[in-house]
Amino acid sequence: MRLSLDKVELEIARLWEEEARRSRATRVELMTLVALVSESHLLDRARDVVQRVARAYPLRTVLASWTDSDRPAITAEVALHRPSPEGAACGDAISVEATGSAREWLPENAERLALPDLPMCVWWVGDLPDYDRLFDRMARAADLVVVNSEEMDLRDLEKLSTVSARVRHTCAFSDLAWIRLRTMQELVARFFDDAAGRECVRSLERVTIEFSPRGGEKDVASTQAGLLFGWMANALSMRAEGVQWKRGPTWGEATLGKVVARFVHHPRTDVPPGSILRVSIECDGARFDIERQDDPRVLRWSRETPGAPVSPQTIGVDIAEEAGLLVRCLERPRRDFLFENSLHLGSRIVRPIAPRLSSLPRPL
Amino acid sequence: MTTDNPFRVGLETERIPDACVFVIFGASGDLTRRKLVPALYNLAASRLLPPGMSIVGFALTETTEEQFRQSMRDAVGQFSRRKPIDEAVWGDFVSRLHYVSGRFEEPASYTRLREKLEFLDKTNGTRGNRIYYLAIPPSVFRTVNDNLAAAGMVAEEGGRYARVVIEKPFGRDLASAEALNTDLHKVLQEKQIFRIDHYLGKETVQNIVALRFGNAIFEPLWNRNHIDHVQITAAEDIGVEGRGKFYEEAGASRDIVQNHLLQLLMVTAMEPPVAFTADEVRDEKVKVLRALKPIRGDDVKRLTVRGQYGPGNFAGQPVPGYRQEPNVSERSTVETFVAMRLEMDNWRFAGVPIYVRAGKRLAKRCTEISVHFKNVPHALLTQGAPGPGADGSRIEPDVLAIRIQPDEGITLRFAAKVPGPSMVLRPVTMDFRYGSAFGGSGPEAYERLILDALLGDPTLFARADEVTAAWRLMTPILQEWEREHLADLPIYPAGTWGPPAAFELIERDGRAWRRL
Ligand SMILES: NC(=O)c1ccc[n+]([C@@H]2O[C@H](COP(=O)([O-])OP(=O)(O)OC[C@H]3O[C@@H](n4cnc5c(N)ncnc54)[C@H](OP(=O)(O)O)[C@@H]3O)[C@@H](O)[C@H]2O)c1
Repeated sequence: MRLSLDKVELEIARLWEEEARRSRATRVELMTLVALVSESHLLDRARDVVQRVARAYPLRTVLASWTDSDRPAITAEVALHRPSPEGAACGDAISVEATGSAREWLPENAERLALPDLPMCVWWVGDLPDYDRLFDRMARAADLVVVNSEEMDLRDLEKLSTVSARVRHTCAFSDLAWIRLRTMQELVARFFDDAAGRECVRSLERVTIEFSPRGGEKDVASTQAGLLFGWMANALSMRAEGVQWKRGPTWGEATLGKVVARFVHHPRTDVPPGSILRVSIECDGARFDIERQDDPRVLRWSRETPGAPVSPQTIGVDIAEEAGLLVRCLERPRRDFLFENSLHLGSRIVRPIAPRLSSLPRPL
Repeated sequence: MTTDNPFRVGLETERIPDACVFVIFGASGDLTRRKLVPALYNLAASRLLPPGMSIVGFALTETTEEQFRQSMRDAVGQFSRRKPIDEAVWGDFVSRLHYVSGRFEEPASYTRLREKLEFLDKTNGTRGNRIYYLAIPPSVFRTVNDNLAAAGMVAEEGGRYARVVIEKPFGRDLASAEALNTDLHKVLQEKQIFRIDHYLGKETVQNIVALRFGNAIFEPLWNRNHIDHVQITAAEDIGVEGRGKFYEEAGASRDIVQNHLLQLLMVTAMEPPVAFTADEVRDEKVKVLRALKPIRGDDVKRLTVRGQYGPGNFAGQPVPGYRQEPNVSERSTVETFVAMRLEMDNWRFAGVPIYVRAGKRLAKRCTEISVHFKNVPHALLTQGAPGPGADGSRIEPDVLAIRIQPDEGITLRFAAKVPGPSMVLRPVTMDFRYGSAFGGSGPEAYERLILDALLGDPTLFARADEVTAAWRLMTPILQEWEREHLADLPIYPAGTWGPPAAFELIERDGRAWRRL
């Protein structure tokens, strides 16, 4: 049953009252997640993701989509999230549909539907258009805005970097591709935890990042690979100025001062598009490797540092789905300076080889 | 510990321990199987163990490394919070596991152990760093420490560390606790000693600190002006569960009151530390114990109650009494229940009674701290709830309850108006449950504590002066009980809330135990 927006809270209260009679569920909600579905074919996927998120993290979800029409209106449907059809309720599920020019009213109405006094997170589902006023207005209302650059082209890193700089005083900004990189970052950092590893940092010469490209991708690096190298370059205080690129059909090589970074395509169907398959680091006589095995959930971590042996390790890793990444993102709804800096530097490093944007997003 | 790795800056895990060899003394024992190895496995699964770290089991039993690894796999399968075993994690974890058999009293065993550890240093880059986890009976603590020192295995030289983790009991009374500390300090510095009290590793206990010092609204009320009294309960519904022999030596006071219960009290009553660092926190905690009024002589009878469970029921099924349990004497006078009325002599809490109780075979399993606030100064409005206040003369005071287990959470009880034309109030509760708010299962206490020991952070471990201060409170009580006649030990039926004297203890002050 579609409701007018002023009836939504009443209906939710009624559903919880009904729930109190059938189960011992306590109503705990820690934030509102607004999923803005930018393309209609993504609606089912987004619905599935918010349902999974609500099972892991108690929240109110507002799934917002829009269709063309001459009659501007926003209406809603309301239900409760449940871990299973018989399970006790674990959050409010609101779907809103804007028709025609009512899309413009979504920001204020999303805020109206948000839980009072609790953080609001906006997840932009799908590719980010070069410029969209709705995105910026939502960012003003939100505490955290999440995108997924796994679905974007390499050139979009620059767009994201501009957006992140633009919204940084209004909300935190995050990227699911960045969240996915955490495991790799953790494993890279491990190489340099002890004195023998740290010794090598200064003499770092070569980094190779192998990744599985998206279907039909022509870019030399995936957004994840670009972000990963941006993070490394940021940690090592490298600069993007004067970067020199060479490229072949399935590889690209950037020279930044005395460091060479090589990006290599290696298509695999058993990992999400853009995923990192191998990271190798070479320093004066030492070598550090992380390599995804035939089983994509297993990484081999090995280090050869003269005089400081460490046995190689096989490490089981999750290949998180979008919902899992989003939950991790929501656990820390605050500005992530490391991401902002890595994105900024990474996007500048890859700029020479990423097809330019027709126009960069306009300022707020 | 890592501080200057540029790749760690800003990552979620900013602290990773330096690689070491983790040696478990008593590796064939119960604690190793049920807690230590499952906790280490879970740390490995969370990728919190440093690469190169090895785990070496050491015990009397002759067994091959292969058999040891297999038995640890069974233990992980049975006791780990993550099920089933993740083969990729296990594959790496098992390659870290080693075993050496030996006798704690025999110096030659230490030579063998040392050779093994040095071999692992060479192959794995652990550079002489050691954690010795003593999962062993207290009777051999001293032997093991002396032999480790004699073999030169605890010296911290050339930047390497050697830490010794010990399990309770830390003595049986003040004299033996002081003797144990003296023995330990002969061969180790205090900073090398990590005394485990697993209650401090519990998320909910750490949350007391978060509640008090991470919020501005509670601390202004956290004093004698607003608090009427505090209750701390650690109730178990099970009996001694086959641990009769151990319990005959310990009793509830040594098993739980002297350590866990007093730790809860310290965290509840301590002043805000200047910083959340090991010594600052522990300085404040120990001040709480020092401020507790000693209970001696005749006061013991007045302010403490002990009891022992007799036959009764557990969840509606008949169960035997303590004296009928295996390995328990038929005439045992060991207490399975303790209640005490404590008071602190300090500026913040002077005159605020703290009622504590702990026991086995009580009506329900529940560990909880409840802070009972003073009543409104003037009964302007009337109470409509059933119970003693139903005559309209009294409003039930507000209570903040912090549940440690099970169903971890915080409840605030306050008065609200009953809907209707008249101004009648009723107590209602506002509930926060960890499970619903954060979902999933957090790390177990042993995981947190082992990680902290690896990182060399002793904040959540008991310091020598904490242990002796706790014994200073408990020892005169235990001595007085020993002098009392056997017939004075009250027996309570299993499945009830302890002997009637426990109710009298609080009711004579015009108060009552909170219903749990
Ligand atoms: N179990 C628990 O849940 C628990 C909880 C809190 C505290 N604790 C404390 O943790 C410690 C260990 O408890 P536990 O229950 O694991 O004890 P346990 O099952 O009796 O194990 C004792 C271990 O010590 C070894 N051992 C004893 N004497 C030895 C000697 N002379 N030489 C070589 N090895 C010797 C035994 O080896 P063999 O088996 O090879 O003989 C066994 O591995 C105790 O201090 C206990 O109070 C235990």
